[in-house]
Amino acid sequence: MNMLLSLDLPYAVTGVLLWLFAGLTWHDLSNRKRVTSASFWFLFGLIFAFGSVLPHRITGFLVLAMVALEGAGLVRAGKPDGPEGMQEEETETRATVLGNRTFIPVLAIPVITVFFAVGFRMAALDVNRGVLIGLAAGSLAAMFIALRLTRAGVPQLLREGHRLNDAMGAVNILPQLLAALGVVFAAAQVGELIARAIQSIVPQDSVFLLVLANCAGMLLFTFVMGNSFAAFPVIAAGITVPLIVKPLGVDPALAGIFTLTAGSSGTLMTMMAANFNIVPVALLNMRDYYGVIRFQLSYAVALWVCHVVLLWAMISLWR
Amino acid sequence: MPEWAKLAGVAIIVIGLALKLRPALVVVAAAIVTGLAAGLPLLSQAGQEGVVEMLGRAFAEYRLMTLFLLTLPAIGLAERYGLQQQSARLIRRIRAATVGRLLMVYQLFRVVHGILGIRLNGHPVFVRPLIYPMARGAAGNGLDRDGEEHIKSATSAAENYGNFFGQNLSPAQPGVLLVYGVLSGLGLSISVWRLVLFALPIAIVAVLLGMAQFALLDQRLHESVKR
Repeated sequence: MNMLLSLDLPYAVTGVLLWLFAGLTWHDLSNRKRVTSASFWFLFGLIFAFGSVLPHRITGFLVLAMVALEGAGLVRAGKPDGPEGMQEEETETRATVLGNRTFIPVLAIPVITVFFAVGFRMAALDVNRGVLIGLAAGSLAAMFIALRLTRAGVPQLLREGHRLNDAMGAVNILPQLLAALGVVFAAAQVGELIARAIQSIVPQDSVFLLVLANCAGMLLFTFVMGNSFAAFPVIAAGITVPLIVKPLGVDPALAGIFTLTAGSSGTLMTMMAANFNIVPVALLNMRDYYGVIRFQLSYAVALWVCHVVLLWAMISLWR
Repeated sequence: MPEWAKLAGVAIIVIGLALKLRPALVVVAAAIVTGLAAGLPLLSQAGQEGVVEMLGRAFAEYRLMTLFLLTLPAIGLAERYGLQQQSARLIRRIRAATVGRLLMVYQLFRVVHGILGIRLNGHPVFVRPLIYPMARGAAGNGLDRDGEEHIKSATSAAENYGNFFGQNLSPAQPGVLLVYGVLSGLGLSISVWRLVLFALPIAIVAVLLGMAQFALLDQRLHESVKR
């Protein structure tokens, strides 16, 4: 039971899937860098399958090896068959055959994920873990349903997954890599440095300037970390609580949640949040690497300004 | 070494990305420089964790961010059997459907997820297989490559808007629990429900701003198709 409730099983399955992708890449003669690309995906699979038991130093060196392969331009995609791997007419006729049933496997993923989340909540277990285990279970169920519906074989299923994985490429490792960078920034206490710099320049008698500095610091540090959750503890301890909540007697819940989402505006602006802003670029085969960020920028700036104005107004009204 | 030397890593990120160097390489360089500038050893010694170990530990710890790879085979196979065409066909049957309206509905749909306390990354699960093909179908024919690119970024953005600002509407969500935990740690006692209450104004503003941006997108797409 414990084994089933831990994430090690989904990680191991993902590791095996990556090895299968590595095998397909190895045999993909249309890929000019097939051996080095296959090695890259093999190493990624190795970390996935054994990341919980490998010594951190070994994992660290494996990561460096993957980054070296990618950095040297040795990780490439094979040539997909047709535009983005598909012939229009071919899919068009198949769509007519399956009709709305093509939705079943894809919808199975979120439905099963939610089912697990609710189940974990009712059993008083960690809901976030339930979501991740549900995502893995849902994906496996979706594969099974898709195979039954289309009567395709397992090799074709894997080739389709490989096609999408190849199209995304080495972007796939960025979220984890950036999260690791965040851990190093935290250990180096970069945030404390930013918080202290802001403390030293803000005049502490103007409520508006304090609110502005608080939201700006949160925005800035989230931009650097790519993650408002990592930035919040630092800014809360460095600015929000000592400069706003305690001296002005502001409701900590008000200042706290506004500071957090002021950071979320920053998340919309930064490539450091690769899972939100760069992975979709790869998933949708966009041409502009920063296309999603470019679209979000005006929204994020407007929303951030609303944070400053609303927080300032609410503090002023309450006093 | 002066303390601000630690910021060299941030500078490396900014410069590296501005020069369009390979991001993975830039990130690792920034991590190593920052660690060394802060006096951390490269490899663990005397009980102090080294930068290499830190990278390995965190990379393994955050594997959960990449679990979405498991969704790719089923989605790929469904796409081969016409998933995207079918999504587009479905949306074309709804007369009133436009790209912007679809994205407004999708953003709200993701806010509802937040209220229900469900936090998932919708780009692989909803956007690539369903929402983007629907939006593309709603846009109709006569769309140029720029328009297509625009719709791609807008669907990804709708996901982020709904996800980020809807999730604090449930006391069981990690964002609310984080604020609760950090403030409690700093000696302030608050209730999670009060956090949810104060998350409401921003959630409303976030939805309204999204509606405005998606309405503008509709206008722009309309004009570019007319021309």
